Amino acid sequence: MRKGMALLLAGILAVSALAGCNGAGGANKEAAAKAEKKASDITGKTVVFIPKLTGNAFFESAAKGAEKFGKEWGINVDYQGSPNAAVADQVSVINNAVASGVDAICVSSVDATGLDSALKEATAAGVSVVTWDSDVSDTARTLMVSQGTPDILGKMLVDMGADSLTKRGKDIKADKIKYCWHYSQATVADQNSWQAAGEAYIKKTFPNWENVAPDNYYSEQDAEKAVSIGASILEANPDIDLIICNDSTALPGQCKAAQNKGLTKENVTITGFASPMSIKDYCNAGIIEQWGLWDCQVQGAIGCYLAAYVAAGNQLKVGDKLDIPQIGTVEVMPNNCLVEGAATAEVNNGVVLLPERTIFNKDNMNNYDF
Amino acid sequence: MKISFLPKLKQIWKKWEFVLTLIILLEIIIFSLKNSKFLMPRVLFGSMNDIISICIISLFVTFVMITGGIDIQAGSIVGLSSIILGVAWQDFGFNIWAASCLAMVAAGVCGGISGFFIAYCGVQPMVVTLGGSFLYTGIGLLVSKLSATESYKGIGGFPEGFLRLSKYRLFGIIPFQVIIFLVLAVLAYILLHKTRYGREVFLAGVNQNAAEYSGINTRLIIMSTYVLSAVSASVAGIILTSYLGTAKSDIGATLTLPIITAVVLGGTLSTGGKGSVPGTALAAVAIGTLRFGLPLCFKVSQQYLDIPVGILLLVIIIGRALLNYPGLSVKTVIRGRIPHK
Amino acid sequence: MRKIIKSREINSFLFLAGLIFLVGLINPGFWQPVTIINCFNDSVVFTFLSAGIAFVILTGEIDVSIGAVLGLSAAVGATLLRDGYGIATALFAAVLVGTVVGVMNGIGVAVLNIPSLIFTLGVNGVVRGIIYVYTKGAWIENLPADFTLMSNRLLTKNVTYFYGAAVLVVIIGHIILTRTRKGKYFVAVGDNCAGATLVGIPANKIKILSYVLCGIFSSVAGMIYASRIGFITPSAGNGYEMKAIAACVLGGLSLTGGVGSLAGASIGAVIMSSISRILVFLGFSSDYDNTITGFMLLAIVVINTSVQNHTVRKNRHEILLARTAQKGGEKA
Repeated sequence: MRKGMALLLAGILAVSALAGCNGAGGANKEAAAKAEKKASDITGKTVVFIPKLTGNAFFESAAKGAEKFGKEWGINVDYQGSPNAAVADQVSVINNAVASGVDAICVSSVDATGLDSALKEATAAGVSVVTWDSDVSDTARTLMVSQGTPDILGKMLVDMGADSLTKRGKDIKADKIKYCWHYSQATVADQNSWQAAGEAYIKKTFPNWENVAPDNYYSEQDAEKAVSIGASILEANPDIDLIICNDSTALPGQCKAAQNKGLTKENVTITGFASPMSIKDYCNAGIIEQWGLWDCQVQGAIGCYLAAYVAAGNQLKVGDKLDIPQIGTVEVMPNNCLVEGAATAEVNNGVVLLPERTIFNKDNMNNYDF
Repeated sequence: MKISFLPKLKQIWKKWEFVLTLIILLEIIIFSLKNSKFLMPRVLFGSMNDIISICIISLFVTFVMITGGIDIQAGSIVGLSSIILGVAWQDFGFNIWAASCLAMVAAGVCGGISGFFIAYCGVQPMVVTLGGSFLYTGIGLLVSKLSATESYKGIGGFPEGFLRLSKYRLFGIIPFQVIIFLVLAVLAYILLHKTRYGREVFLAGVNQNAAEYSGINTRLIIMSTYVLSAVSASVAGIILTSYLGTAKSDIGATLTLPIITAVVLGGTLSTGGKGSVPGTALAAVAIGTLRFGLPLCFKVSQQYLDIPVGILLLVIIIGRALLNYPGLSVKTVIRGRIPHK
Repeated sequence: MRKIIKSREINSFLFLAGLIFLVGLINPGFWQPVTIINCFNDSVVFTFLSAGIAFVILTGEIDVSIGAVLGLSAAVGATLLRDGYGIATALFAAVLVGTVVGVMNGIGVAVLNIPSLIFTLGVNGVVRGIIYVYTKGAWIENLPADFTLMSNRLLTKNVTYFYGAAVLVVIIGHIILTRTRKGKYFVAVGDNCAGATLVGIPANKIKILSYVLCGIFSSVAGMIYASRIGFITPSAGNGYEMKAIAACVLGGLSLTGGVGSLAGASIGAVIMSSISRILVFLGFSSDYDNTITGFMLLAIVVINTSVQNHTVRKNRHEILLARTAQKGGEKA
């Protein structure tokens, strides 16, 4: 049944693609006209869900969430990605998805602008484009499901650290807190933007803190390197107070390095972003006080829902509220809530902010299964 | 000796290219039977766009491997060229084409340095180019620091004329980059198979000492192949920058293994002395078709694509090995007798 | 004694010592015994990998599938451990993976006579793909604590059990390769394969054996990796093959075969894995990481090769002199 539907859709799309851009636009317009009063049905739509790279805990659980909710909504979520976080690889995944005639794409972009032309071509071929986690240019997509602005996330990272420092008896306003950042690498967009925002927040709020490595430490998402760099940080800076690991590989690696050294949360504060499952053991062992993330399963699912919703010919305007079954209500915000001064098109363009980010600690970490 | 040897080799290449053509045809037939959309020219040529850098670079890495070397730094030079191009254009006010030339010259120098160590200091090529791949990736990152744009953002907003390098389609169908590839393939073919230089490349690979004694400056020849492959990598980097619309220092990071795979699948001997440009070109296309067709027609997930490509490589080389040694039996080999033809 | 001084691995060792000395000059914090010993402790994965691939390189072949073998055996072993099996079972399964891939590589290279780079490249793709199929792309997390804490257990002051084991294995392997008849076959095959066959050495058997050993060493490295890291990603070990090869070259092995030793390879592994660590102590930004790694690798290799070429020429000259002297009857 599903196959038949997919074939039918593929056939329709092939015809519309053959007819060229104008034809596709026309089809969209007709669909839009139909959907004037009532939202059209999203069941049967196929959404390709594209991570930055496969084999990463964060993206795998997002895909799991998208697939789980997708099944209940009756949309097909197809998880397609390359094992390498590379722009060229992602472009080829997108081109492949477009060629195979899907309805919508929901992508977390490796590069801020590198996917633009591929996504614009996809849009021209009648595929609706939604981004999640990491954005592209706002003209190349319809909606973006964001976990929060860099300012929110950077502040969250620093605040988690400050809170843990206070808990172990430091005076964050007066003590000379030595800290550093440890994440994947200098070329990754989102992590660097959080770091930049967090650094600005520290300068403003805690001028007494001292960054021991203003150029940061990088472990290139290599687990072995994360442990080894983590150990070197602790050895080279024996008096370090706080290590912020805004990368899902660096955080468990840094915790393991601290564990190897016999350090606990009483000696050094480690915090950052990672899935609850990957840090649970270190929290139980008393190495880390708290760390954070957002519900990436819900994020992935919302992305796919919006992609299918737009693909079905529905329109969303800034300020619209959309009720997503089993998840809740989301609101479409203008693009300038992420990037200052960004314009927003009249319809089907904007940002959906995830309602909340979660801070995990000993008490709540067992409530999550990702 | 040499007279009877060369034509025979030539025969095998011919056979080999024939096999590769058959494989490509077979792939196309199977894929198009499964999903007729595969044959749409737009889709078919569109798929070429994504493998164009592998195709272009592998053409000239063939030269390197014929001399008995290997080049695993090409991927990092792609990124280096891209970022040099971007920084020179955006932050130093170069004309976009002047910036492209600068990127090519810089790449040539990088290739020359590696080639110098290999040819004149006698260091093993794999190690030099491994070191080179670290070094040039690192330099790429440092170059990106020169720019006002943070290195994670990528430099965009290139002029229309530069973007047309990858957007223009001849007759509305054939992408311009495919034409660049075909032109380069013809150039490489002539250079390797029709000129004195090409013959010297082969000789340097068959027996460097003998070539040296017969008056060929083998060191220069060997060094030049690394320059060629580096320049081709920078051409690929420029095209990729235009295609993606963004200059980044890490855009070539994943190209190394596919390039080597294409070259060896194309029939180039990794010990040197044997290989052909058409073989490499066909092999690159065969791999590209497979990587594009399998997800499109058989719903193979992208992350599993290493398996079919690996199996294709293994099946072909094992098959070729068995064909080349008809008298081969496991017993004789285990006993330690190397089969001779 | 003179033999020891002349051996190639001593160059690498001196380089390592010099490196530690220099870094210590800039940052005295590096000169503490704990820090230096930790450089060795942290290299344990690469020590096993490089020692394993050294067998293959000594016979004049190459194996670029070891990174994938490390990843697959780590994944297989870690899943078993997570599902409650004992450490022995997990280790056995991991070693089985390494052995199977090693036999495959050996047959392909020695029996089918396929150039080793190509064959192991193909195997690498297949094995890496199998990791993704096996793990379904997910991380393997929450390994039992007594397994992950094994990597911290200290044999003596500061030296971990794992590194102790690595040293023991390398010493045994080194002695077998240099002191026993069969062990010397490896070098002989790498030095001159056809010649070795002619004097009755089962060259292909030796090559297959070297691949099997390499596979086993890689899978042991995989288990140690699992213990040290505590979680396995499907990309575990990606690119390690190149680093292991570089480590061997830093340790004085020649990729053309027949030259070098296991001890050299293990010293090379320490140099290779200490680079990123040293940068942290030197206070360099991690942006310089690749640049300096590449620069150091090139510098060491170019200097090493030039020195060696010089020695080879000098030795040749001496042998020639000795021969002519013998002919003249002066030194008979």
